[in-house]
Amino acid sequence: MPQSGASWFTIVPAAIAAVAPAPACATVYMSVEQAAHAMFAGAKMVDRSITFTDAQRKAIAKASRASVPKTQHVWEAREGSSRVGWFIVDRVLGKHEYITYAVALTPDGAVKRIEILEYRETYGGEVRNAGWRQQFVGKKFGSQLKLGGDIKNISGATLSSRHITDGVRRLLATWQLVLRNG
Amino acid sequence: MAERVTRCRPLIGTFVEITGDEGAIEAGFEAIERAHRLMSAHEPDSDLSRINRFAHEQPVEVDSWTAAVLERAFFWSRHSEGAFDVVAAGAAAIASGYLPLHDGQPRPVAAHWTRMEMCGRTVKLQKPACVDLGGIAKGFAVDRAVAAMKATGCESGLVNAGGDIAGFGPQPWPVQVVQPSDRRAIANVAISNGAIATSSVLPDGSSGHVLMLAGGQVSATVCAPNAMDADALTKIVLSGSPATGRCLDIAEAQAFVVDRGGAIAAVQAPRVAA
Repeated sequence: MPQSGASWFTIVPAAIAAVAPAPACATVYMSVEQAAHAMFAGAKMVDRSITFTDAQRKAIAKASRASVPKTQHVWEAREGSSRVGWFIVDRVLGKHEYITYAVALTPDGAVKRIEILEYRETYGGEVRNAGWRQQFVGKKFGSQLKLGGDIKNISGATLSSRHITDGVRRLLATWQLVLRNG
Repeated sequence: MAERVTRCRPLIGTFVEITGDEGAIEAGFEAIERAHRLMSAHEPDSDLSRINRFAHEQPVEVDSWTAAVLERAFFWSRHSEGAFDVVAAGAAAIASGYLPLHDGQPRPVAAHWTRMEMCGRTVKLQKPACVDLGGIAKGFAVDRAVAAMKATGCESGLVNAGGDIAGFGPQPWPVQVVQPSDRRAIANVAISNGAIATSSVLPDGSSGHVLMLAGGQVSATVCAPNAMDADALTKIVLSGSPATGRCLDIAEAQAFVVDRGGAIAAVQAPRVAA
Protein backbone atom coordinates (compact mmCIF):
# COMPACT_ATOMS: atom_id res chain seq x y z
CA MET A 1 0.00 0.00 0.00
CA PRO A 2 1.25 3.48 -0.74
CA GLN A 3 2.01 5.35 2.42
CA SER A 4 0.10 8.47 3.18
CA GLY A 5 2.40 11.32 2.25
CA ALA A 6 1.53 13.44 5.24
CA SER A 7 1.92 10.83 7.96
CA TRP A 8 5.59 11.35 8.65
CA PHE A 9 5.53 15.04 9.42
CA THR A 10 3.23 17.46 11.18
CA ILE A 11 2.67 20.95 9.89
CA VAL A 12 3.21 23.81 12.30
CA PRO A 13 -0.03 25.83 12.06
CA ALA A 14 0.55 29.14 10.30
CA ALA A 15 -1.16 30.98 13.19
CA ILE A 16 1.40 29.74 15.68
CA ALA A 17 4.26 30.40 13.32
CA ALA A 18 3.00 33.95 12.74
CA VAL A 19 2.57 34.74 16.42
CA ALA A 20 6.02 33.50 17.27
CA PRO A 21 8.20 34.22 14.28
CA ALA A 22 11.75 33.04 14.72
CA PRO A 23 12.33 33.51 18.41
CA ALA A 24 15.87 34.65 19.12
CA CYS A 25 17.29 31.29 19.96
CA ALA A 26 20.45 30.88 22.01
CA THR A 27 22.17 27.56 22.19
CA VAL A 28 24.89 27.02 24.76
CA TYR A 29 27.11 24.02 24.09
CA MET A 30 29.97 24.48 26.51
CA SER A 31 31.15 26.90 29.16
CA VAL A 32 34.55 28.55 28.83
CA GLU A 33 35.71 26.32 31.65
CA GLN A 34 34.52 23.12 30.00
CA ALA A 35 36.21 24.05 26.72
CA ALA A 36 39.50 24.85 28.45
CA HIS A 37 39.36 21.51 30.24
CA ALA A 38 38.51 19.61 27.05
CA MET A 39 41.31 21.26 25.10
CA PHE A 40 44.03 21.39 27.76
CA ALA A 41 43.15 18.82 30.42
CA GLY A 42 45.44 19.11 33.41
CA ALA A 43 47.13 22.32 32.26
CA LYS A 44 47.25 25.50 34.31
CA MET A 45 45.50 28.38 32.57
CA VAL A 46 47.25 31.72 32.94
CA ASP A 47 45.20 34.75 31.95
CA ARG A 48 47.04 36.59 29.21
CA SER A 49 44.14 38.67 27.91
CA ILE A 50 45.17 41.48 25.61
CA THR A 51 44.17 45.11 25.33
CA PHE A 52 45.44 45.97 21.88
CA THR A 53 47.31 49.15 21.04
CA ASP A 54 46.08 51.03 17.98
CA ALA A 55 49.19 49.92 16.10
CA GLN A 56 48.53 46.26 16.96
CA ARG A 57 44.92 46.47 15.87
CA LYS A 58 45.94 48.02 12.56
CA ALA A 59 48.61 45.38 11.95
CA ILE A 60 46.26 42.48 12.78
CA ALA A 61 43.50 43.97 10.64
CA LYS A 62 45.89 44.33 7.72
CA ALA A 63 47.21 40.78 8.08
CA SER A 64 43.80 39.14 8.50
CA ARG A 65 41.53 41.45 6.46
CA ALA A 66 39.17 41.55 9.45
CA SER A 67 38.13 44.20 11.93
CA VAL A 68 39.83 43.72 15.28
CA PRO A 69 38.21 44.09 18.70
CA LYS A 70 39.82 46.27 21.36
CA THR A 71 40.44 43.35 23.67
CA GLN A 72 40.94 39.63 23.33
CA HIS A 73 40.41 36.93 25.95
CA VAL A 74 43.53 34.76 25.89
CA TRP A 75 44.95 32.21 28.29
CA GLU A 76 48.33 30.57 28.17
CA ALA A 77 48.15 26.86 28.96
CA ARG A 78 51.11 25.75 31.06
CA GLU A 79 52.30 22.41 32.36
CA GLY A 80 55.02 22.96 34.92
CA SER A 81 57.45 25.44 33.44
CA SER A 82 56.57 24.83 29.79
CA ARG A 83 53.94 26.38 27.58
CA VAL A 84 51.67 23.76 26.03
CA GLY A 85 49.48 26.08 24.02
CA TRP A 86 47.11 29.01 23.89
CA PHE A 87 43.40 29.08 24.67
CA ILE A 88 41.45 31.92 23.09
CA VAL A 89 37.78 32.81 23.50
CA ASP A 90 36.43 34.91 20.67
CA ARG A 91 33.12 35.94 19.16
CA VAL A 92 32.01 36.69 15.64
CA LEU A 93 28.89 38.28 14.28
CA GLY A 94 27.51 36.31 11.38
CA LYS A 95 24.75 37.40 9.05
CA HIS A 96 22.01 36.50 11.49
CA GLU A 97 23.81 35.19 14.53
CA TYR A 98 26.36 35.79 17.21
CA ILE A 99 28.80 32.99 17.78
CA THR A 100 31.13 32.58 20.74
CA TYR A 101 33.82 30.01 20.22
CA ALA A 102 37.04 28.77 21.73
CA VAL A 103 40.23 28.01 19.86
CA ALA A 104 43.17 25.95 21.10
CA LEU A 105 46.51 26.80 19.51
CA THR A 106 49.70 24.78 19.80
CA PRO A 107 52.74 26.66 21.23
CA ASP A 108 53.84 27.35 17.66
CA GLY A 109 50.52 28.82 16.63
CA ALA A 110 48.73 25.98 14.81
CA VAL A 111 45.02 25.44 15.34
CA LYS A 112 44.55 22.38 17.51
CA ARG A 113 40.81 22.47 18.02
CA ILE A 114 37.79 24.73 17.68
CA GLU A 115 34.62 24.40 19.74
CA ILE A 116 31.49 26.49 19.44
CA LEU A 117 30.52 27.68 22.94
CA GLU A 118 27.35 29.61 22.18
CA TYR A 119 25.27 30.22 19.10
CA ARG A 120 22.64 32.90 19.17
CA GLU A 121 20.30 33.32 16.23
CA THR A 122 18.73 36.70 15.73
CA TYR A 123 16.57 36.14 12.68
CA GLY A 124 14.21 39.00 12.21
CA GLY A 125 15.17 40.54 15.50
CA GLU A 126 17.09 43.67 16.24
CA VAL A 127 20.78 43.26 16.76
CA ARG A 128 21.40 43.85 20.42
CA ASN A 129 25.04 44.54 20.18
CA ALA A 130 25.55 46.24 23.52
CA GLY A 131 23.74 43.55 25.44
CA TRP A 132 25.82 40.90 23.82
CA ARG A 133 29.08 42.62 24.54
CA GLN A 134 28.09 43.08 28.15
CA GLN A 135 27.95 39.36 28.52
CA PHE A 136 31.62 38.89 27.88
CA VAL A 137 33.31 42.07 28.98
CA GLY A 138 35.19 41.41 32.17
CA LYS A 139 34.45 37.72 32.04
CA LYS A 140 37.14 35.98 34.01
CA PHE A 141 38.24 32.45 33.56
CA GLY A 142 36.33 30.24 35.92
CA SER A 143 33.12 32.19 35.81
CA GLN A 144 30.43 29.83 34.63
CA LEU A 145 28.29 30.72 31.68
CA LYS A 146 24.67 29.98 32.24
CA LEU A 147 23.80 26.85 30.36
CA GLY A 148 20.78 27.08 28.12
CA GLY A 149 17.84 24.78 27.80
CA ASP A 150 17.24 21.98 25.36
CA ILE A 151 18.96 22.15 22.04
CA LYS A 152 16.65 22.27 19.05
CA ASN A 153 17.43 19.99 16.15
CA ILE A 154 16.79 22.12 13.12
CA SER A 155 16.72 21.05 9.50
CA GLY A 156 16.70 24.11 7.28
CA ALA A 157 19.13 25.58 4.88
CA THR A 158 22.79 25.23 5.67
CA LEU A 159 24.29 27.96 7.81
CA SER A 160 27.70 29.01 6.62
CA SER A 161 30.58 28.79 9.07
CA ARG A 162 32.60 31.28 7.01
CA HIS A 163 32.50 33.89 9.80
CA ILE A 164 34.31 31.46 12.07
CA THR A 165 36.96 30.93 9.41
CA ASP A 166 37.43 34.71 9.21
CA GLY A 167 37.63 34.94 13.00
CA VAL A 168 40.22 32.19 13.25
CA ARG A 169 42.33 33.94 10.61
CA ARG A 170 42.26 37.07 12.78
CA LEU A 171 43.28 35.02 15.85
CA LEU A 172 46.18 33.47 13.96
CA ALA A 173 47.35 36.97 12.99
CA THR A 174 47.01 37.94 16.65
CA TRP A 175 49.25 35.01 17.61
CA GLN A 176 51.75 35.92 14.90
CA LEU A 177 51.95 39.61 15.76
CA VAL A 178 51.36 39.70 19.51
CA LEU A 179 51.31 36.38 21.39
CA ARG A 180 54.31 34.78 19.72
CA ASN A 181 56.66 37.41 21.08
CA GLY A 182 54.93 37.64 24.46
CA MET B 1 24.88 5.35 31.45
CA ALA B 2 27.20 8.12 30.27
CA GLU B 3 25.86 11.65 30.36
CA ARG B 4 24.45 12.90 27.07
CA VAL B 5 25.67 16.28 25.87
CA THR B 6 25.74 18.26 22.62
CA ARG B 7 28.88 19.71 21.09
CA CYS B 8 29.28 21.91 18.02
CA ARG B 9 32.27 22.48 15.74
CA PRO B 10 32.68 24.39 12.49
CA LEU B 11 33.37 21.70 9.85
CA ILE B 12 32.54 20.91 6.22
CA GLY B 13 31.56 24.54 5.72
CA THR B 14 28.86 24.57 8.35
CA PHE B 15 28.15 23.98 12.02
CA VAL B 16 28.16 20.34 12.99
CA GLU B 17 26.27 19.42 16.16
CA ILE B 18 26.69 16.01 17.74
CA THR B 19 24.65 14.71 20.67
CA GLY B 20 25.69 11.62 22.62
CA ASP B 21 28.14 10.67 25.32
CA GLU B 22 31.53 12.41 25.25
CA GLY B 23 33.55 9.52 23.84
CA ALA B 24 31.08 8.91 21.03
CA ILE B 25 30.98 12.63 20.21
CA GLU B 26 34.75 12.67 19.82
CA ALA B 27 34.61 9.63 17.50
CA GLY B 28 31.83 11.29 15.51
CA PHE B 29 33.80 14.50 15.01
CA GLU B 30 36.85 12.49 13.93
CA ALA B 31 34.78 10.92 11.16
CA ILE B 32 33.45 14.32 10.07
CA GLU B 33 36.98 15.75 10.08
CA ARG B 34 38.20 12.86 7.93
CA ALA B 35 35.41 13.42 5.42
CA HIS B 36 36.20 17.14 5.49
CA ARG B 37 39.90 16.57 4.73
CA LEU B 38 39.09 14.21 1.85
CA MET B 39 36.24 16.08 0.21
CA SER B 40 36.70 19.78 0.89
CA ALA B 41 36.77 21.85 -2.28
CA HIS B 42 38.63 24.54 -0.33
CA GLU B 43 41.64 22.39 0.63
CA PRO B 44 43.99 22.23 -2.38
CA ASP B 45 45.26 18.74 -1.50
CA SER B 46 41.97 17.03 -0.69
CA ASP B 47 40.98 14.06 -2.86
CA LEU B 48 38.34 16.27 -4.43
CA SER B 49 40.76 19.08 -5.31
CA ARG B 50 43.28 16.59 -6.72
CA ILE B 51 40.54 15.26 -9.02
CA ASN B 52 39.69 18.78 -10.14
CA ARG B 53 43.33 19.73 -10.68
CA PHE B 54 44.76 16.59 -12.27
CA ALA B 55 42.16 13.97 -13.29
CA HIS B 56 41.78 15.37 -16.81
CA GLU B 57 45.48 14.58 -17.39
CA GLN B 58 46.03 11.40 -15.40
CA PRO B 59 43.97 9.01 -13.28
CA VAL B 60 43.71 10.13 -9.65
CA GLU B 61 43.48 7.55 -6.90
CA VAL B 62 41.19 8.47 -4.02
CA ASP B 63 40.38 7.19 -0.53
CA SER B 64 37.66 4.54 -0.15
CA TRP B 65 35.41 7.17 1.47
CA THR B 66 35.71 9.54 -1.48
CA ALA B 67 35.13 6.63 -3.86
CA ALA B 68 31.98 5.67 -1.96
CA VAL B 69 30.56 9.19 -2.30
CA LEU B 70 31.42 9.37 -6.01
CA GLU B 71 29.82 5.95 -6.60
CA ARG B 72 26.61 7.12 -4.96
CA ALA B 73 26.73 10.39 -6.90
CA PHE B 74 26.91 8.34 -10.13
CA PHE B 75 24.04 6.20 -8.90
CA TRP B 76 21.80 9.23 -8.35
CA SER B 77 22.87 10.86 -11.63
CA ARG B 78 21.79 7.72 -13.50
CA HIS B 79 18.51 7.29 -11.68
CA SER B 80 17.53 10.96 -11.76
CA GLU B 81 18.37 11.20 -15.48
CA GLY B 82 20.98 13.82 -14.71
CA ALA B 83 18.97 16.00 -12.32
CA PHE B 84 21.63 15.21 -9.73
CA ASP B 85 24.97 15.99 -11.37
CA VAL B 86 28.13 16.77 -9.40
CA VAL B 87 30.00 17.81 -12.57
CA ALA B 88 27.31 20.27 -13.69
CA ALA B 89 27.14 21.59 -10.12
CA GLY B 90 30.90 22.11 -10.14
CA ALA B 91 30.87 24.01 -13.43
CA ALA B 92 28.10 26.26 -12.09
CA ALA B 93 29.92 26.76 -8.79
CA ILE B 94 33.11 27.88 -10.54
CA ALA B 95 31.19 30.14 -12.93
CA SER B 96 29.47 31.88 -10.02
CA GLY B 97 32.63 32.13 -7.89
CA TYR B 98 31.06 29.87 -5.26
CA LEU B 99 34.06 27.50 -5.39
CA PRO B 100 37.71 28.54 -5.75
CA LEU B 101 40.05 27.60 -8.58
CA HIS B 102 43.27 26.28 -7.04
CA ASP B 103 46.76 26.74 -8.47
CA GLY B 104 47.04 24.65 -11.59
CA GLN B 105 43.33 23.87 -11.67
CA PRO B 106 41.86 24.32 -15.15
CA ARG B 107 38.55 26.07 -15.76
CA PRO B 108 35.87 23.44 -16.30
CA VAL B 109 35.12 22.62 -19.91
CA ALA B 110 32.83 19.65 -19.28
CA ALA B 111 29.59 20.08 -17.34
CA HIS B 112 28.02 16.64 -17.45
CA TRP B 113 28.43 13.70 -15.09
CA THR B 114 29.16 11.27 -17.93
CA ARG B 115 32.50 13.08 -18.45
CA MET B 116 33.74 11.49 -15.24
CA GLU B 117 34.91 7.88 -15.19
CA MET B 118 35.53 5.66 -12.24
CA CYS B 119 37.23 2.33 -11.89
CA GLY B 120 37.55 1.11 -8.32
CA ARG B 121 39.18 4.00 -6.47
CA THR B 122 40.59 5.63 -9.59
CA VAL B 123 38.95 8.69 -11.10
CA LYS B 124 39.45 10.13 -14.57
CA LEU B 125 37.92 13.18 -16.26
CA GLN B 126 37.56 13.12 -20.03
CA LYS B 127 37.95 16.89 -20.13
CA PRO B 128 38.80 19.55 -17.55
CA ALA B 129 35.89 19.63 -15.13
CA CYS B 130 35.07 20.54 -11.57
CA VAL B 131 33.41 17.99 -9.32
CA ASP B 132 31.37 19.53 -6.50
CA LEU B 133 30.35 17.08 -3.79
CA GLY B 134 28.55 19.76 -1.78
CA GLY B 135 25.20 18.14 -2.49
CA ILE B 136 26.07 14.74 -1.06
CA ALA B 137 29.30 14.69 0.99
CA LYS B 138 27.76 16.38 4.00
CA GLY B 139 25.19 13.61 4.26
CA PHE B 140 27.91 11.00 3.87
CA ALA B 141 29.92 12.62 6.67
CA VAL B 142 26.84 12.50 8.92
CA ASP B 143 26.39 8.78 8.19
CA ARG B 144 30.06 8.05 8.94
CA ALA B 145 29.81 9.99 12.20
CA VAL B 146 26.80 7.91 13.22
CA ALA B 147 28.67 4.68 12.39
CA ALA B 148 31.70 5.86 14.40
CA MET B 149 29.49 6.72 17.37
CA LYS B 150 27.78 3.33 17.29
CA ALA B 151 31.20 1.63 17.12
CA THR B 152 32.06 3.14 20.53
CA GLY B 153 29.04 1.39 22.02
CA CYS B 154 26.93 4.53 22.19
CA GLU B 155 23.25 3.54 22.18
CA SER B 156 21.67 6.78 21.09
CA GLY B 157 22.89 9.86 19.32
CA LEU B 158 22.18 12.59 16.82
CA VAL B 159 24.39 14.26 14.22
CA ASN B 160 23.33 17.51 12.56
CA ALA B 161 25.55 19.00 9.88
CA GLY B 162 23.83 22.21 8.87
CA GLY B 163 20.43 20.59 8.57
CA ASP B 164 21.56 17.18 7.30
CA ILE B 165 20.55 15.11 10.31
CA ALA B 166 20.78 11.45 11.28
CA GLY B 167 19.67 10.02 14.60
CA PHE B 168 19.80 6.59 16.21
CA GLY B 169 18.66 4.95 19.40
CA PRO B 170 15.51 3.62 21.02
CA GLN B 171 13.80 7.02 21.26
CA PRO B 172 12.79 9.06 18.21
CA TRP B 173 14.51 12.44 17.85
CA PRO B 174 12.33 15.50 17.33
CA VAL B 175 13.44 17.64 14.41
CA GLN B 176 12.00 20.98 13.41
CA VAL B 177 12.03 21.91 9.73
CA VAL B 178 12.32 25.67 9.29
CA GLN B 179 11.73 28.06 6.43
CA PRO B 180 15.25 28.85 5.25
CA SER B 181 14.71 32.58 4.78
CA ASP B 182 13.58 33.44 8.30
CA ARG B 183 14.05 30.19 10.24
CA ARG B 184 10.31 30.07 10.97
CA ALA B 185 9.14 26.61 12.08
CA ILE B 186 7.05 24.96 9.39
CA ALA B 187 6.98 21.27 10.22
CA ASN B 188 7.90 18.78 12.92
CA VAL B 189 9.37 15.40 12.13
CA ALA B 190 10.46 12.56 14.39
CA ILE B 191 13.64 10.80 13.28
CA SER B 192 14.00 7.22 14.39
CA ASN B 193 17.12 5.41 13.17
CA GLY B 194 17.05 7.43 10.00
CA ALA B 195 17.93 10.74 8.44
CA ILE B 196 16.47 13.98 7.20
CA ALA B 197 17.87 16.72 4.99
CA THR B 198 16.62 20.05 3.71
CA SER B 199 17.88 22.01 0.72
CA SER B 200 16.79 25.42 -0.31
CA VAL B 201 17.13 27.84 -3.19
CA LEU B 202 16.86 30.94 -1.03
CA PRO B 203 19.97 33.07 -0.73
CA ASP B 204 21.68 31.62 2.30
CA GLY B 205 24.76 29.90 0.97
CA SER B 206 23.20 26.59 0.02
CA SER B 207 21.73 27.63 -3.30
CA GLY B 208 24.97 26.98 -5.17
CA HIS B 209 24.24 23.28 -5.36
CA VAL B 210 20.77 23.48 -6.80
CA LEU B 211 20.85 23.29 -10.55
CA MET B 212 17.25 23.65 -11.65
CA LEU B 213 14.07 24.73 -10.02
CA ALA B 214 10.54 23.56 -10.66
CA GLY B 215 7.43 25.60 -9.95
CA GLY B 216 7.80 27.97 -7.03
CA GLN B 217 9.26 25.72 -4.37
CA VAL B 218 11.95 27.23 -2.19
CA SER B 219 12.96 24.20 -0.18
CA ALA B 220 12.73 20.43 -0.17
CA THR B 221 12.93 18.14 2.83
CA VAL B 222 13.64 14.45 2.47
CA CYS B 223 13.44 11.71 5.07
CA ALA B 224 15.48 8.61 4.20
CA PRO B 225 17.20 5.69 5.92
CA ASN B 226 20.59 7.42 5.54
CA ALA B 227 21.73 11.04 5.35
CA MET B 228 23.74 10.70 2.13
CA ASP B 229 20.63 9.68 0.17
CA ALA B 230 18.48 12.25 1.96
CA ASP B 231 21.02 14.96 1.04
CA ALA B 232 21.21 13.98 -2.65
CA LEU B 233 17.45 13.47 -2.95
CA THR B 234 16.66 17.01 -1.81
CA LYS B 235 18.38 18.24 -4.98
CA ILE B 236 16.46 15.78 -7.15
CA VAL B 237 13.13 16.80 -5.57
CA LEU B 238 13.88 20.50 -6.10
CA SER B 239 14.84 19.84 -9.71
CA GLY B 240 11.32 18.66 -10.49
CA SER B 241 12.76 15.76 -12.47
CA PRO B 242 10.10 13.30 -13.67
CA ALA B 243 12.26 10.59 -12.11
CA THR B 244 11.79 12.05 -8.61
CA GLY B 245 9.14 9.57 -7.48
CA ARG B 246 11.17 6.61 -8.62
CA CYS B 247 14.28 7.95 -6.88
CA LEU B 248 12.36 8.39 -3.61
CA ASP B 249 11.07 4.81 -3.94
CA ILE B 250 14.56 3.42 -4.55
CA ALA B 251 15.83 5.04 -1.37
CA GLU B 252 12.64 4.25 0.60
CA ALA B 253 12.41 7.97 1.17
CA GLN B 254 9.65 10.54 1.60
CA ALA B 255 9.68 14.20 0.75
CA PHE B 256 7.83 17.46 1.00
CA VAL B 257 8.39 20.82 -0.64
CA VAL B 258 7.74 24.28 0.72
CA ASP B 259 6.84 27.36 -1.30
CA ARG B 260 7.78 30.96 -0.65
CA GLY B 261 4.73 31.55 1.53
CA GLY B 262 5.55 28.55 3.73
CA ALA B 263 2.90 26.20 2.33
CA ILE B 264 3.87 22.54 2.48
CA ALA B 265 3.08 19.90 -0.13
CA ALA B 266 4.02 16.25 0.19
CA VAL B 267 5.76 14.93 -2.90
CA GLN B 268 3.51 12.23 -4.30
CA ALA B 269 5.52 9.50 -5.87
CA PRO B 270 3.78 7.66 -8.71
CA ARG B 271 4.18 4.30 -7.01
CA VAL B 272 3.64 0.86 -8.47
CA ALA B 273 0.31 -0.51 -7.27
CA ALA B 274 0.64 -3.20 -4.62
